[in-house]
Amino acid sequence: MRFEAAGPQLVERSWTEALGLALRLVLVLALVAIVVQAAIVVRARPQDLITGAYGMADIVRRAMPPDFSKIDMVWWPALETIDLGIFGTLGGVIMALPLAILAATNVTPSRYLYYAARGVIGFARAVPDLVWALLFVTAVGLGPFPGALALSVHSIGMLGRLFAETIEHMDMAPIDALTLTGARRVQVFTHGIIPSILPSLLGIALYRLDENIRSSLVLGFVGAGGIGFELLSAMSLFQYQLVSLLLIVTFVIVIAAERLSALLRARLG
Amino acid sequence: MLQVRGLTMRYPNGKLALVDFDLSIEAGEVVVVLGGNGSGKTTLLRCISRTLCPTAGEIWLNDTNLAALSGERLRQARLPLAMIWQHASLVRRRSVLSNVASGALGRYGGLWTALGCLPAVECDAAYDYLNAVGLAALAGQRAGTLSGGQAQRVAIARALAQRPQVLLADEPVASLDPEAADDIMRLVRHLATHERLAVLCVLHQVELAYGYADRVVGIRDGRIAFDRSCAELPRDAVRQLYLGEAA
Repeated sequence: MRFEAAGPQLVERSWTEALGLALRLVLVLALVAIVVQAAIVVRARPQDLITGAYGMADIVRRAMPPDFSKIDMVWWPALETIDLGIFGTLGGVIMALPLAILAATNVTPSRYLYYAARGVIGFARAVPDLVWALLFVTAVGLGPFPGALALSVHSIGMLGRLFAETIEHMDMAPIDALTLTGARRVQVFTHGIIPSILPSLLGIALYRLDENIRSSLVLGFVGAGGIGFELLSAMSLFQYQLVSLLLIVTFVIVIAAERLSALLRARLG
Repeated sequence: MLQVRGLTMRYPNGKLALVDFDLSIEAGEVVVVLGGNGSGKTTLLRCISRTLCPTAGEIWLNDTNLAALSGERLRQARLPLAMIWQHASLVRRRSVLSNVASGALGRYGGLWTALGCLPAVECDAAYDYLNAVGLAALAGQRAGTLSGGQAQRVAIARALAQRPQVLLADEPVASLDPEAADDIMRLVRHLATHERLAVLCVLHQVELAYGYADRVVGIRDGRIAFDRSCAELPRDAVRQLYLGEAA
């Protein structure tokens, strides 16, 4: 009797296991297919890495040693790069915060404003900072200012979304309590919402500063100032020793920004 | 001072939480509301505080019907009505003093308070309110570091900073140990007597109701089961209130 009962169960289980195995096999095959199609589309040619090794070694040879005699002409672009990141982040924070309030479901004053704010944030995020930089270079000319504007606008998208999510996940009980004391909406915001989420907002902003400093290096390639612009000029003029110096300064800036940001965020936590 | 007439509340899902509810509370009076889970106690407080909009009925606070107001007029009219909850609901990263002083924000509309500042006169007053609840020594401490009992005292001090005439309390001692619960109820009783506050307090602890209330209102299925002074309220009536729920 016991064996009779166990028999169909075992059969059922083996069918389920077989189905699971087949499903996993299909998933693995699908993954392999995706990787193969990606390699075909990007025309991956590993052999070119071998044939191009000589060219790369030649560039490295010509870049050594870095030309430290030109360090004086690097300070200003380096400062520009850092300031691009600072201005871009600060501009982004100032514009993202009000948008985030409108885009957070738990505090937004109206559904229409919610969708409008989400739309602006989504659009600012969807367009890459490099494209924003190209647009601003066209609009206001070459130099660091279009770069700073590009970083600000792109930061609105990134910060706006993260700020809105932070507001949506906050504990609403103190906010409701403050509202019931008769405090006005703006007072609830400054006395309740901001103090509750300030460390999270600062942490996100510091992380963004780190990202923006790295992004500002690339923006120079489209004429938006900073070290990137100098790097492009030096490469165009085959001044590889200056290129290596600029890369060293870039490395120092990126690592310093990353460490400083991590340190400050750890203190906030 | 506070009068509720014919209050009815039907939730959007069709559940009838309050049915033709009448209640009145005078200054200096402590009225405790008892009833089983889902009987309508919290709905009653939320309707009176107008965090819920009642389906029908009137809520008279002095000469104003809160049920008929909305927006800025409701905010203004609701100022004499303070509320405390089971959890203190303080802004954890602000100081105890700032939390208390923020209870006065409703009376100020200027730029400075909108920018996050608190009027100096309210900070001084907040210190006095903290003194009244026995926590002046913790004024500079962050609210997040307080124990449950201390946080609830701070919430009461914040309610006092609102300079209310009516205090609504929704299970204010539910998360506290018996000693802290007794402390809080003693404080509420003291404030009602000395500050002439009308207190409407939802409780589950029958002994606390007998110990500190002037009147006890029993709710079952959104209707008043009884409304009597503690001296006139037999224990059996309270027992029946909860047994009725179980049945």
